[in-house]
Amino acid sequence: MIDKLSTKNIITWCPGCPNFMILASVKKVFAKLIDSGLNQKDIAMVTGIGCHAKIFDYLNVSGFYGLHGRVIPTCLGIKLGNPNLKVVGFAGDGDTYAEGMAHFIHAGRYNADMTLVVHDNQSFSLTTGQPTPTTQLGYKSKASPLGNFSCPINPIKLALASGVSFIARTNARDISHTSQILRAAIKHKGFSFVEIIQDCLIFNKDMNAKDKLMYEVKENRDKKTAEKLADEWNYNDKKGKIPIGILYRVEKPTLNENMRKNDEEK
Amino acid sequence: MRLNILIGGKAGQGINKISEIVSDVLVNYGYFIFNYRDYPSLIRGGHNFNVLSVSDKKVGSHESKLDGIIAMDKKTIRLHKAELKKQGFVVDFKKFEKDNLGRNLNITLAGCLIKILGIDKNVLIDRIKKEFDNPEAISAAERGLNSEEEKFGLRKLASKINILSGSQAISLGAINSQMNIFIAYPMTPATGVLHELAGRQKKYKFKVFQPENEITVVNAGLGASFAGSKTMIGTSGGGFDLMTEGLSLQGQTEVPLVVYLASRPGPGTGVPTYTSQGDLDIALRGGHGEFPRIVVAPGDPIEAIEKTNEAFYLSEKFGSLSVILSDKHLAESEFSSDKKPNKIIPVKIDRKIPGQSIVKANSYEHDEFGNTTEDAGLTKKGANRRIKKYEEIKKDVRKFEMIKIHGKKDSENLIIGWGSTKGAILDAIEGLDFKFLQVLYMKPISDEIKKEIKKSKKVILVENNVTGQLGRLIREKSGIKIENRILKYDSRPFRSDELKKEILKIK
Repeated sequence: MIDKLSTKNIITWCPGCPNFMILASVKKVFAKLIDSGLNQKDIAMVTGIGCHAKIFDYLNVSGFYGLHGRVIPTCLGIKLGNPNLKVVGFAGDGDTYAEGMAHFIHAGRYNADMTLVVHDNQSFSLTTGQPTPTTQLGYKSKASPLGNFSCPINPIKLALASGVSFIARTNARDISHTSQILRAAIKHKGFSFVEIIQDCLIFNKDMNAKDKLMYEVKENRDKKTAEKLADEWNYNDKKGKIPIGILYRVEKPTLNENMRKNDEEK
Repeated sequence: MRLNILIGGKAGQGINKISEIVSDVLVNYGYFIFNYRDYPSLIRGGHNFNVLSVSDKKVGSHESKLDGIIAMDKKTIRLHKAELKKQGFVVDFKKFEKDNLGRNLNITLAGCLIKILGIDKNVLIDRIKKEFDNPEAISAAERGLNSEEEKFGLRKLASKINILSGSQAISLGAINSQMNIFIAYPMTPATGVLHELAGRQKKYKFKVFQPENEITVVNAGLGASFAGSKTMIGTSGGGFDLMTEGLSLQGQTEVPLVVYLASRPGPGTGVPTYTSQGDLDIALRGGHGEFPRIVVAPGDPIEAIEKTNEAFYLSEKFGSLSVILSDKHLAESEFSSDKKPNKIIPVKIDRKIPGQSIVKANSYEHDEFGNTTEDAGLTKKGANRRIKKYEEIKKDVRKFEMIKIHGKKDSENLIIGWGSTKGAILDAIEGLDFKFLQVLYMKPISDEIKKEIKKSKKVILVENNVTGQLGRLIREKSGIKIENRILKYDSRPFRSDELKKEILKIK
């Protein structure tokens, strides 16, 4: 099955990049879903622009290699256009939280049945290492030689505040856990958001190697607990603990369900 | 016979209801109408007015001199008295102040107007009964009918006439094309189509979605189309600016997309509830990179139905971007016609879609499978494919009406215009030694235009913008500079009597 999901394109990520592991996790999940009856033709992926997005060329499924920041709108359109498709978006931290921030907040409100996977390496790497909205204060780059002037946002807290119905975090290097969480995310009815913490081997290396801070949590459905879990890591330093797993989950009607319901009521 | 009646009042008082009722009665009586709507950007108060032009022949504009004023407030009389002809009449709301009509004042005023026009009162009563099932509305109408003297004695004519606004017509064109999804963010004057389609989504089984901004509108529009839905998106100039990244993405991915652009005066927020033809340039060029597109500009609702259908057809057939260019004057005015639109062209989805096969759309330059490439040869191949596609579009559109010649066909005096100025130009040249070349396809543009100009002695360009954008386009394509230009850019549309004077001034 895994072979059927591969393409012949030459992979151009840096040697050792955690994106290889994310690709392996995604293939594993897709293979499992197909084994349990999903038609390969019913998968539609969307990617943004950045290192993460190269995954588009390495997966043999339908897809839309969209614009920087527009993974969510493109996924939303595909889901509206054909509600039968399993829509999975891959985006970067700059992609999602800088250029596309408005879409992220509204995605929680719409709750369309789709999955957003954010490859968060706290750096704009394909443009050679400028700070993103999750980069730590003081980070020096060619664009910020005096040190990054702004503090990072916490996407988990933002997702909670925006009403996202499935919020998870994983470690790119942990293929077994990541694929397990991705599978749950894709199966979730509604908008699911998975943030994958990954190192960049070239830029913002100060933030790398956080594995020992990470610990697995059991699926959580309590909002207060979710807020506490979200607060355990501030993205700004390597102190505290980084909970991984399903940090929050709730059942809510999806966009297509609400559209159908309104249609019946009229 | 032609009459111009101004109906004015504060926003929220219901002047549109008066012109709607009277227009319905008039077309049932066999008369043509044109209703111009003038309103500032506010919801309650201020000063709104409509000018209802009535004729026993086709009419597509209003005039500057008024035969009558229907006033729902004092301001209407104060502001418009000077425009009234010597024999003109005024119906003053004050006359009914003691009647306690409340919300039914507009029905009473409609009754006054019907009586003045000399139309059989039962036609009005039947129309009122159709909409309002209450005795107060009927007595309000009768109060009006009994308070005025007949002045014009209109007799019933045989013509079968329908009323449509530009917004309604664009919506019908989309429905005729069996559109599956319409996505838009509200912006005057494009909002009319959002409202029309939202109201019809259940009956015709399509989806209407209003997301957080126009950037989402265009990217979701492409996503929906990629997934196999016939998709239209709608906006005005400022929203179109935001969409341009997606127009360029369309060029690279070749996913079909229809964009409705209703322009208003810019730059910036400009004059939001008024009109302009200032956005032809961005319709033609918005979006980075070089890629083909189609830009159509209907001049009345019948053409709006036809050109919207053609825009869908071409977009789906060639995987191209189709822009339907309109403006406030076309979108929001009410037009009457005794014509039926051309036969519907079926729009078929004949391409690979996800769910049925594995298909990739890519914003990068790509190979035949949709995978990314930076190869020089493949880059050139992609560019050549897009250019070749435009050559095919150019050939295919010849089967549609790209231009129309109106007026005196053998005249050597030529007026050139496009879009919503059509009505005023046709009314202005009535009886004059002129022909009117109306451009409907802005891109690709017809080769016939050059020939027509060369055949003519006097050529006049008429546009509702500052710089004569069609004139510039014609010069780019033909090398001919049109010296005589009548340009109006005060955010108001042409009035036919004033335009006629301007035309006759040019020697």
